[in-house]
Amino acid sequence: MKTDKQTDRQTALRIFFLMALVLVFAATSGGSLLAAPKKLATAKAGDCAACHGADKVLPDGHAPTAAMNGEACLGCHQKGSPLALYTKMPLSHFHQLKGITCQACHTDLNAPQELSTEQCLACHGSFETVAARTANVKPQNPHSSPHGNTYTACDLCHHQHAKSENFCAQCHNFKFVVP
Amino acid sequence: MKEKEKAVSRRDFLKVTGGTAAGIAVTGMAWRPGEAEAAAMPKKWNETFDVVVVGSGFAGLAAAYEAKKAGASVVVLEKMRTPGGNSIINGGVVSAAGSPLEARDGIKDSPELLLKDMLAAGLNLNHLELARLVAYESNNTVQWTINELGVKYKDSLSQEGGHSVPRMYSTYNQSGSAIVTQQLEKLKEIGLIPRTQVLLKRLLRDTDGRVKGVEVREKYVFPRENSGRTKFIKAKKAVVLATGGFGNDVPFRTIQDPRLTADLESTNQPGATGEALREAFRIGCTPVQLSWIQLGPWGSPDEKGMGLNPFFAQLCCAMYGLWVDTQTGKRFVNELADRKIRADAIIRVGNKCIAFTDANGFAIGQKMLGDIMAKLMERGVVKRYDSLAAMAEAYDCPIAPLRETIANFNKAVAAGKDEEWGRYLQKNQRALDTAPYYASRLMPKVHHTMGGVNINVEAQALNVEDDKPIPGLYCAGEVTGGVHGAVRLGSCAVLDCLTFGRIAGRNAVREKAWG
Repeated sequence: MKTDKQTDRQTALRIFFLMALVLVFAATSGGSLLAAPKKLATAKAGDCAACHGADKVLPDGHAPTAAMNGEACLGCHQKGSPLALYTKMPLSHFHQLKGITCQACHTDLNAPQELSTEQCLACHGSFETVAARTANVKPQNPHSSPHGNTYTACDLCHHQHAKSENFCAQCHNFKFVVP
Repeated sequence: MKEKEKAVSRRDFLKVTGGTAAGIAVTGMAWRPGEAEAAAMPKKWNETFDVVVVGSGFAGLAAAYEAKKAGASVVVLEKMRTPGGNSIINGGVVSAAGSPLEARDGIKDSPELLLKDMLAAGLNLNHLELARLVAYESNNTVQWTINELGVKYKDSLSQEGGHSVPRMYSTYNQSGSAIVTQQLEKLKEIGLIPRTQVLLKRLLRDTDGRVKGVEVREKYVFPRENSGRTKFIKAKKAVVLATGGFGNDVPFRTIQDPRLTADLESTNQPGATGEALREAFRIGCTPVQLSWIQLGPWGSPDEKGMGLNPFFAQLCCAMYGLWVDTQTGKRFVNELADRKIRADAIIRVGNKCIAFTDANGFAIGQKMLGDIMAKLMERGVVKRYDSLAAMAEAYDCPIAPLRETIANFNKAVAAGKDEEWGRYLQKNQRALDTAPYYASRLMPKVHHTMGGVNINVEAQALNVEDDKPIPGLYCAGEVTGGVHGAVRLGSCAVLDCLTFGRIAGRNAVREKAWG
């Protein structure tokens, strides 16, 4: 039979662990208390709820997406239109929708590694090829830096699991829109 | 976590030395009150190298190259997400006194004359032996970048303020990146890639006085101080500190020069901050001339940071055009005076100055700078005016005195001598009289910190207590002081960094390993 003291201690421990869990959770979700998505490798790309659960990630009245792939999205969200998804979702989602799964980049899903620029370029083409695609971007081609190729490492600007950023803007007035 | 580690290391230190007082007696740190400053050595090092280089600009990479070539195991640590520091955004000009290009162009020059120029600009505050070494090694250093690193330069020389003659080589892309990318390439060939996002937290100087390694934070995210994970890296032979200047460190720079507040822009990359320099002082390095901080006079309020205006304002205007105060329409300085004289003059006359040139000066710029000129026009930093009157009107500059200023300058060109301001006249200088005119606004920006830690000609850091070398610590580049005295001449920083970086790397390898 448990004494009152023991019960108290157990309750205190439970509360402690619960609080610790909440704290860990808050820390891993970037300080926000919203649930962090699950990063479920088996989820279908269009099945938002598989990772995001009940979180509202689509606007009200949006068509169900669970069965959609990237091409289906383009039915409404054409490139260049006001509805274009460009910059509106993390890049990992674009990859997923085009069939580039978690495993395609991270290989070992039990211990996913950071990617190198070389891995990105293996699909996207050489530095020169990438630069040619944005040759007309003003006021400066973001993929052809006078500071050399270390300044065009992909993840300086393009993040997969966080909001992308305009790395050039720390020293320049370039107002690039970064997908 | 960090606090806990710090506490542990302090306790360990006290255990070893038997108390704070003993610690001070052993390490000779009595000049700083409070706790003993020597850090306890960690119980376990996470990694070991012969040479640990901190910083990946010109100096750090040069040190790493020499050390690695000599057979040492080397690691290069860079706190930012990209290697290269300020060097990779530098303007790409390097002085060479007595170079083949000077010989070809019939320019009479010598290392002695370069040294004289450096001392004149430096107000003789230069540490003579250091400055002399840089000047006398200048041509060797430039030729080394060509022959050993494969750096490509343009075919003509140019001239920055304070130099008696045009003696500057310009990299093919007018950026220090042409040198840094070659340094990175050469290092890669011998198996060395700088590690980015590794912040130096502590130089670990043992109670025997020797620097034995570093405490760093890996996966550090600038500028979040406590980001990343603590790691201890052992330097069996030496640490080379090449962490650059503090031009973008507003708190530290305003301690040294309270006028340089956050209101002033800087040409530097955001990571040009002083925490490594503070750490060097904490472990006993000697401060040299920290309050001499240079403003680049050729900055523009119409673009951020270093930008591209320096090329136009210097090459097209200081060399071939004029700088005028738009309130008076008059010249206010020798456009080829050193940077401090010019920056001070701009501020003194009220910060409403422009650099301008005519069609001929612009054409020379286009020939020399290529698409940089087009970019400057496109970005609205440099503007084109069909007539002198239109230019004067745009800047609210009185036209009559402006015309007189130009007439006087043209007389000086005809006479071959600038009596008014004593400016060096280019051999192919023509009268300023051909429309269209091109102009940009000038705004001085914090550019280079002349001061830093005291070193000797072997790039050894010297102890504040006795001026003797601190065993196991070399310093090179902008983190050091003394080479440039009060004012650094343009195109001499690259020399300083490469010369002392190489010396530091070579000497670091020759150190006897401590364990």
